[in-house]
Formats: sequence, structure tokens, C-alpha cells
Amino acid sequence: MLRDITLGQYYPVDSPVHRLDPRTKIILTVLFIIAVFMADQLFLYLFILGYLVMAVYVSRLPARMIIRSIRPMRILLVFTFVLNLFFGAGTTALFTIGPVTIWKEGLMNAVHFTLRLVFLVMGSSILTLTTSPVTLTDGLETLASPLKKIKFPAHEMAMMMTIALRFIPTLVEEADKIMKAQTARGADFETGNLMARARAMVPLLVPLFVSAFRRAGDLAMAMEARCYHGGEGRTRLHVLKIKRGDIIAFLTMAALFVLLLLPRWL
Amino acid sequence: MPIVLEKLSHIYQQGASTTTALKDIDLTIGDEDLLALIGHTGSGKSTLAQHLNGLIKPTSGRVLLDGRDINAPGEDSRKLRFRVGLVFQYPEHQLFEETVYKDIAFGPKNMGLSEVEIDQRVRGAMDTVGLPFEEIKDRSPFEVSGGQMRRIALAGVLAMRPQVLVLDEPTAGLDPRARDLLLSDIQRLHQEGTTVVMISHAMDDVARLATRIAVLEKGALAMVGTPGEVFSRYEELTAMGLDVPQGCQLTRLLREMGGPAMADCYLLESLADSLTQQIKGGDGGAA
Repeated sequence: MLRDITLGQYYPVDSPVHRLDPRTKIILTVLFIIAVFMADQLFLYLFILGYLVMAVYVSRLPARMIIRSIRPMRILLVFTFVLNLFFGAGTTALFTIGPVTIWKEGLMNAVHFTLRLVFLVMGSSILTLTTSPVTLTDGLETLASPLKKIKFPAHEMAMMMTIALRFIPTLVEEADKIMKAQTARGADFETGNLMARARAMVPLLVPLFVSAFRRAGDLAMAMEARCYHGGEGRTRLHVLKIKRGDIIAFLTMAALFVLLLLPRWL
Repeated sequence: MPIVLEKLSHIYQQGASTTTALKDIDLTIGDEDLLALIGHTGSGKSTLAQHLNGLIKPTSGRVLLDGRDINAPGEDSRKLRFRVGLVFQYPEHQLFEETVYKDIAFGPKNMGLSEVEIDQRVRGAMDTVGLPFEEIKDRSPFEVSGGQMRRIALAGVLAMRPQVLVLDEPTAGLDPRARDLLLSDIQRLHQEGTTVVMISHAMDDVARLATRIAVLEKGALAMVGTPGEVFSRYEELTAMGLDVPQGCQLTRLLREMGGPAMADCYLLESLADSLTQQIKGGDGGAA
């Protein structure tokens, strides 16, 4: 029943992009987003598209996975396009249908924003497709560790995220089991009005919370039994290291920036 | 009200990969049966159990209850679940109500019974599993002992008065005393006319209680028969990584040590009896 929920969309293959340091990938994703917003003329999107295609090719991801990543956004995309198209005012009218005037500026805005959104989602999905959730939190922790100086609990945040990610499949399985057990006692989760359905969730949620708390208690005990005492002085099994691939990746991003900035200088 | 499984297959689909959990199971569970379902972890026992009350739909094949396909369009799947009660593994994890009484009443309430009828059924179910009604009915199901929680959960299913009771490893994680109590409850229910299907890893319990045994291996039905028939295939069972009852092991051991020849005894008691016979006069089956 709940089995079809897939969380985290990590696509496990071995590729130069998969092997990149997670910090590199996070920073590159941020830079890519900046690059997307720097493109102010249509032909510049060709460079961005080129960069994206190259990244997907090198990462050995199936192209359809990247295309599928914009599916949840399709309604937002249509909205963005339509709203900008019809409600953007400008100076050059393209044509008028009844009371609606389509402005050249409106059309341009619509195209710009829609393209930006598409590239934004596709670019960041490369990050999540090539980086396992645990590696990703590792990268985030290291990137956020300078903030420890201002008492930001970077390690604790990352540990919480890792644990949460680790337990999502377990809890989904548990929920599925409890749901079946209650269904076997005649519980009905599918029919009735909103109130009836909300009430029907009680036999599912109470046992789920009870078991989540029990698991949390067990895990805390197991961690303490192995002398976990927070991030202080903790060493790593996988030490993050900047390698040649990371430098090459940064160079390609620098090249993209140069390409995008060239028209402004010329 | 026999349950008939006809060419039952189930395939789990997860993304692009598929796992065959059950393949071509043909099995009849008679009214009088206390059928034990045994097999290695991952052999498909739980999947099979969940087919019996329609929680899982077969990929192909049919499940017939009283000659009617339970998954046929138009069959009321909720009514079916009241007739075939399923007790999951660690059923105490599904308790949720404020009081023991309310939790056991959950099933009968879903059946739409009257307050009086519900009350009767809750009392009856608690009585069957040996829970003192007055003493614990108003207590929280979360503050009683583990063995009692298990019995409350069992009572929650029994209160629906199912004609068939399916239990998935009912004794897992219980201490010996609680286990014996639970097993005798199950045996009594069977004697009172409930058809019982029980998944178990404890072969001595199976040997003692079951009237028939079905062995699953890798989703296929490897053997079906009386305990005597199944446990006499000692080598095959061990090859599947399954245990055999102590009685069987001891009989084999005695035979290997050159003891008197005698039939396989899967129960320690009957082994003791036939040994006594041997010692007394040598006329107790010695060839």
C-alpha cells in the first residue's frame, strides 16, 4: 500500500560525477543556479543547456531521469509561463485578442522564467541523483562546520538528518504493516468524509508513534553503548578530500561563467 | 468452510526488479485442520498468510473460501476479514486504544455490532486468552506485561469470532511461560472448532499442535502432510535449513548408535513410550 513511496532518488552507478566530493557538487550546484540567473539573453541558455548535457553525459544518468525530475513541477511551470505571458505589461504589443494584449516583454519574461525554473530543477536533481543522502549530509556538515564558531550545531544537524533519512524506509514499512494489521481488524482507511478519515488514522498513528519512540530510545542506547558523545573529536571513516576531478569540475564551471559573461564585456 | 488455494502465485514488483514470493501453490485447508506453515525466512510464509484474508491479492491463481473466489469483484473484502482473522507477527505493536477494553472492541465495533454484543464478545475473547476482565479492562494496553499485550492483541482478533484464525509466528519473542499459555489457548480454540493456520519456527510446538504441516521453500510448496509424514523426511528438511523436533533428532541418534530399530517418533513423549516398551519386553515393535 505504502510501498511505492521512494524517498531520495539516488541513482547508483559509478561515474566521475558520482565520485566527486559532495562539497564540490553542492558548491557547483549553487554556482550553476547563479549561472542560470545570469543568462539574460536567449542564446546564452544554449551554454547552460550545453553544460547540463555534458554533466548528465559524464554522470551516466539516463536522460529520461533528468527529464522526469521536472514532472512534479509541471503545473508550476505552466502557471509561471501563463501568468508572465498574460499579465506582464510592456511597451511593445505583439498582438491583441479581445481584452488581452500580449506584450513582447511579457513573452520574454515568460520564456526566461520558465527556462530558468527548468534548468534550476534539472541542475539540482543531478546533485541528488549522483549523491547518496548520507554523503550529501556529510558534505553539508563539512560545509557548515565553520559556522560552529557561532555555535551553529553543524554535526548534530547532520547526524539528525542522517538518522531521519535512515529511518524513513523503516517507518514506511512499519506503517504498511500496522495498516494491514488494522485492516485485518476491519479498519477502513479509504472511505468516508474528511473527519471519518482523520479519525481512521488514529489506529495507524498511535502505534506508529509508539514504535518510533521505542526505536529512538533503542538507538540512543545503542549509540551511547558505543560511546557516542557528539561531534567533538570525532574522526571520519570517509575523509572528504579534494581530488583532481573536483578541480576539473570547478574549471568547467569557471568556463561556463566566462562564456556567460563574455557578451557583457564585448 | 475449507480454504482452497489454486495455482496461487505472487510476484512483488519493485521498480524494474521483480521477486517471485509465491509460485503455483495448490493447497486445501480443511475445517478440522490446525495447519502449521513452516519454511525458511523469506520462503513466502507471511505472504501466503496475508493472501488468506485478501490483504494481498494474488498475481495469478485463486483463493477460494467456501468455494467462492475471495478476490472476485463484488465480494465484500471487509466481511471476509471478519471471517478470516489474521494475527500479525508481534501483534502487540498494533495496540492503540486508551484501554484494553476499547482495543479489543475495535474489531467488533468495525463489524457494526450492538453495544451488548460487543461487550459479550470482548468478555468472551478475554476469557478465551485467559485475561482477567475486571482487573485489566480499564488499564492502558501499554502498561501491562509483554505476554499480556500479546494476548490482548490476540483477543482483539478473536473478538470478531473468525471461523479461520491465521497466526504469523504467535510465540516469537515470548518467554517460555507466556508461550505455553498462548499455545494452549490456540489449541483450545482449535478443539472448539476454529480452523487454525499457524506460521512457526518452533518445530517442537508444531509437532505437538499441528494436524497438518505445509512446508514452503523459495515460494513453492515443498511438502504437505501429517506431522508424521513431514518429519520422516528428515534429510530434506535439514537440507532446507529447517529444524526438526527433538523427538526426531533423538530417534535418529539412537538409531545411529545402534539402538533398537523403531519408527520415527516426532514427539518426545511417544519416543519415551516406545522406548519403555522396548526395555520392558522387547515386544513393542522391535523387528
